[in-house]
Parts: sequence; structure tokens; C-alpha cells
Amino acid sequence: MSENSSSTTPFAKIIIVAKDEWRYWLRSKLAISVLAIGLLLTLSSVIVTAINTMELSHTRHELQNDADQTFVDQPDRHPHRMVHYGHYAFRAPSPLSVLDPGVDAYTGNSIFLEGHRQNSAMFADQKQGTALTQLGSLTPAFIVQTLAPLLLILIGYSSVSRERESQTLTYLLSQGTSGFTLIAGKGLALMSVIGLILVPLTISALFSLHEGESVAAILGFILGYALYLTVWALLVLLFSSALSKNSESFTALALTWILLCVVMPRVASSTAITTVPAAGKLETDFAVIAELRKLGDGHNANDPAFAQIKASLLEKYNVDSIEQLPVNYRGVIAMTSEAKLTEVLNEFAEQRMQTVLAQTIVSRDFGWLSPMVAIRSLSMLTAGTSIETHHKFLREAEDLRFNFVQGLNKVHAERLTYQDDMNRNKDLDSSNKARVAAKNWQVLDDFAFAVDKPSLRLQRSAPAFLQLLAWIAVLIIAIRWVGKRLV
Amino acid sequence: MIEIDQAKAVIEASSLCVNIKNNPILKSLNFRVKAGEIYALLGGNGAGKSTTLKTLLGFNAPSSGSVKVDGKEVLEALNHVRKKTAYLPESATLYTHLTARENVKYFLSLADIEKTDAEIDQAFDRVALQTKARDRHMQTYSKGMRQKTAIALALLREAPIFLLDEPTSGLDPVAIDEFNQLVRELASGGATILMVTHDVYGACQVADRIGLLRDGELVGEFSAPQDGQIETEEVHAAFAQRGAA
Repeated sequence: MSENSSSTTPFAKIIIVAKDEWRYWLRSKLAISVLAIGLLLTLSSVIVTAINTMELSHTRHELQNDADQTFVDQPDRHPHRMVHYGHYAFRAPSPLSVLDPGVDAYTGNSIFLEGHRQNSAMFADQKQGTALTQLGSLTPAFIVQTLAPLLLILIGYSSVSRERESQTLTYLLSQGTSGFTLIAGKGLALMSVIGLILVPLTISALFSLHEGESVAAILGFILGYALYLTVWALLVLLFSSALSKNSESFTALALTWILLCVVMPRVASSTAITTVPAAGKLETDFAVIAELRKLGDGHNANDPAFAQIKASLLEKYNVDSIEQLPVNYRGVIAMTSEAKLTEVLNEFAEQRMQTVLAQTIVSRDFGWLSPMVAIRSLSMLTAGTSIETHHKFLREAEDLRFNFVQGLNKVHAERLTYQDDMNRNKDLDSSNKARVAAKNWQVLDDFAFAVDKPSLRLQRSAPAFLQLLAWIAVLIIAIRWVGKRLV
Repeated sequence: MIEIDQAKAVIEASSLCVNIKNNPILKSLNFRVKAGEIYALLGGNGAGKSTTLKTLLGFNAPSSGSVKVDGKEVLEALNHVRKKTAYLPESATLYTHLTARENVKYFLSLADIEKTDAEIDQAFDRVALQTKARDRHMQTYSKGMRQKTAIALALLREAPIFLLDEPTSGLDPVAIDEFNQLVRELASGGATILMVTHDVYGACQVADRIGLLRDGELVGEFSAPQDGQIETEEVHAAFAQRGAA
């Protein structure tokens, strides 16, 4: 009998172990079912979410155009009626929101803009949906973040422990195969499963290129998920290598999944709310009202709060009464009042946004303790569906509101005389005289919301990348330690 | 043909002490097995038989003393030792999702050895593994068939040293006879065989020498006469007298 020795490299041996692991999975009904379910789930969720998001994006664009057109199509009116007629700002979803809708599902995607008020965003999917959809939809992000680790656990929990339990481990090691080769081979097999899970995600992400997404953001997004699933593959390998029985390995991994994917994200949110307390809505509303009262009522030009403005206007135009002013005093008061009111509203809005952001940052720090928290942050930040993006929308929508309201107030001040304005309720003829031409409604800025630049999104997600890399480094060290003691 | 120097001890334990979780399992164990010899370490439960084998394979580190295989300290030449050694665990468990042929091919590929199907069949023939069973999943195999597969693998690896853990436990008498025959053939081909067992009769039937292990120490040795077998009664008496359970 002749021995034909070949010089197989250590990596080739790792591939041999990985191939055998695949052979085991393919011959095991459980493993193949788990793999098929995982792929089907990912694929179907990508398709369903993509259709929904594209529809939503289309609807929002249409609604924005409709709202713009409806506003400018208004007939001749008193300009202040147009201030209260208001306008809508719609946020077009970011291209990668197909995969991770992030906070969009909760924060709302449109705002009704009107004078003297900053309304909240509305039409959040989670609020519009039925009771069932409010529990959370089956988005690709949810599947990869929450269910994919379970799939890895189901197919991998016994990868090393079953070798120990069936005594093939000792047999294998006794023939010169190192513990490292065995674990690395099992790890490679799990990594190939991760590759399969990521295929539908990557294809969908690449489709977002057509929607204007950058390659860098897509790469960052996919890399983040690859790192996250690698953390889980390493956890599976660690427990499977360290524990002597399949049942022990499965129980430990299931508990770890509950801890890291279910408990820790909630602990993170609770800690954030406790450490950075936010004032309640009622409390804030009262504080805003109290501040606004100090400014005077912009609808009442004779409010004592505006006495100083009146005096300075009379002095500026060297006239004795507001009737003699070349501008409509009521329009000037509306402008001044809106500016001051907006300043106060913005101050409160900024405070609220800073508080929410501070809470979010505290919550994100839990990524050092839970890879699930890390990937959630990373995913939303790179996809442009994070709270930062929502705040950007709020600020831009507020700019839009302020500009169109002040544009109308300017029309009020310059295109309508004070006398006609004061007589507007006298009779029908006076009412008609107190209107300005519809051509003056061209005060709307074009509103096309865009997410932050990819460089900024990636920069913001850097801590989450570091958190996942730290998890991987620690787990590799632990596996090497366990691997050396593998018997 | 197995190439090994017959003059030197192929397996050698000198004042070998092994502690597991601070419990002394082997206490100054001394024995030597020469090339082509069949040596049986006989002992009851907890005598330290399996620990001895695992120490020879480098799974346990000696707390003192020395353990050598093929003239080399085990832990210093682990790869060499494992390459030269064919270990048959008590249950001789191979992968149940694979056939005997797939099992052999898998282990050979990990050991860097390429063999043709014909060569594998030759090894199966040598251990008398039924032809129709060779491409059947091992889930359906009896212990004897699994052992034959494992020995076929050892033959293909051309390992000159065999470490057998309770090789005949659970085998029917016919299978035991077949196995003993195979072991003798291996030894006559130059292979060094160390088997650990609690079966006095089985050990006397096949071994050239028997070492009586009790509580981690070698308490007696018996050698077979020229062209004869070790006296079962003598060993049995010593086994019982020494109090090994």
C-alpha cells in the first residue's frame, strides 16, 4: 500500500473541515430547514420592504408636489389666511431605508406647517398601522439583527460540542488535527452561512445605488452587518467549544441571545431615559405658552408688547399714526411677532432635540455590552434613518415654515394697505379689497429633503464599528484560549 | 512495511505522575513497550488506564516524570507523536452522517494523506469490512464494524503505534476473535500495540505482556512464554488479590 502524502496547507485543512460541516448540514433536516427558512425570510422581507418603501417614496413625492401645487393654486385671499391655510413638508425616505426604516417608522414623515406653531411630525407607520403592525414589522434589518443570530445558533450550537459529545473530537485531535483547525473550519462554515444571509441584503443595498445612495454608505452598511453576524458566529463557536454538551451549548446561546438581543436594548433605553431625564410634553407645552405670552399676541397690533415697535416705526417713517405708515402695520407686527415666537419655539425644539440626542448617545454606549445595540446604531446611522436625520428634517421643515410664513407676512405688510386690512370685516366689498392676488403665493421654497452626506453618516457610525470590532477581538482571544484547551 | 527501530522502547513511561483537577491519577507509573509488542494495561475502573492513554496522546500534561512515544517526549513532539499514533477510543465513534469510505477519506485528507478508492478498499478488505457496508452511513454500524473502519483508517495512515481503549468491550465472541487476529497481524507486521482493558481473559489471549494497573501505579507485570499465552489464572488471581475492582 503506497502512501501519497501531499502538503496540504493549514488553510486547506480548514476548508476541508468547513466542507464537512456543510455536508453535515445538508444531510441534517433541521439544519437545511433552518437555512431555507432564513434565506426565505430575508428574501421576502427585502422584497416586501422594498415595494413598501418605493411606494412610500413615490407617494411622498406626489404628496409634496400636490401640497406645493394646492398652495400656489389658492385664489386671491387675505395673506394671513394663507399663513393659517398652511402647507405640508414630506420627508422622502433615504434609499437604504428599504433595508432599515430606523426611527422613520416611529417619528412620522410629514409635518403640517403653519404660522405661529411648530407641529410635530405625523403619519408614523407604527401609529397608522393596525394593532398587529404596531408590534413591529418584519424588515430586513429586524431579520438580520434579531432572527439571523438565532439561525446561526440553531445550525451552529453543536458544531464543536457534538464532536465532543460523540467522542469524535478526541479521535480527530489524536490524529494530529489541531483544535485551531477544527474551530476555524467550523467558523469558516458559519461565515459562509453569513455570506448567504447577506446576499439578499447586499443585492437590495446595491439597488439603492439607483436611488442615489453612495457606494461608501452601502459598503459601510453591509460591512456593519457582516461584523455583527461575525460576532454571533464567534459567540456560537465559543460556547460550542467551551461547553461539553450540545444541550448546554444551546441553552447558553439561547440565554445569551435573550440577554443581548432582547434585554440589553431595553436596558439601554431605560438607562438613557433615567440618566438623561426629559421634560414631559405637558410640562414643556406650559413652559412654551408661558414664554410666548411674554411676546404678545401677533394678531392684535394694539397689544402693549408691540408699543416699542410702533414707536420706532413712526419715528423711522416720520409720521404721526400707523395709518400714515407706507407699510401695513399689522403685517409688520405679524412679521416681528413670528420672528420672536419662532426664536422661542426653536429654543425649546433644540432643547428637546438635544435631550433626545443625549439619550440616544447613552443608549448607543451600550453597544460595548450588546452587539445588537451596536448594529442598530450603525445600521440606522449609515442608512440615514437615525434620530440625527429626523432632527435634520425637523430643522429643514422649520426653515421652510418660517420662510413661507414670513414671505406671506411680507406680502401682508407691503401689498395690503392698513386701511383695507382694518376694514376687511365691514362688508363683502371690503373683504374683497383685503385680498391680495394669488400670484403672491409663490413664496414656497422648493423642499426636497436629503439625508446627510455618506461621510458624515459613516463618521457618526464609527463608534458602533469600534464596538463590533472590540467584540470580535475579545471573542477571538477567548476562542483561542478555549481552542488550546480543546479535548 | 512499518519502519520502526525494534531495539528501542517505542512507548515509555518513567515515574509518570498525572494530576487531574489536583487529584493524583497516575502515581509514578513505569512501563515500556517495545516495537512489535502487544502490551495490555489491565486494571479496574478508576485505575488510570484511560488517563494513561490520554497522556500518551498529549491530552494530559505529566505533573512529573516522563512519557515518551517513539523516543520523543510527547508534549515536546506532539505533532510527530500524533502522526505516528493510531488511537481507537472505546466507542470508536466516527461520523454518523458519513459512510465508512467518507469517514476514512475525511480523516486522511486532514492527515495530509491521499489514497485511491482501490487502496481504501484494500484496507477494508484487510479488516474484513463487508463490501456492501462500506458506502452506508455509519449510523447503522455495529461497534465491531466501527472498529474495523477505525483500524482500516489506521492502516491507511500507516501509523506504527496503536493505542486501544477497551477494544473488545461490547463485541460478540466472533468479533473479538476477528479483532484479536487483526491485532496479532498488525504486531507481526511491526506495529507496537498498547491496549488498556479490564478484560483479564481477553488481555491474556492477545497480549505479549500485561501490566497490572491499580490506583495509578503498576503493581505487577506478566510476560507470555515463547510461543504461548499468559496464564489467565495467574493474572486473574493477581488482579483479584490486588483488589482492583
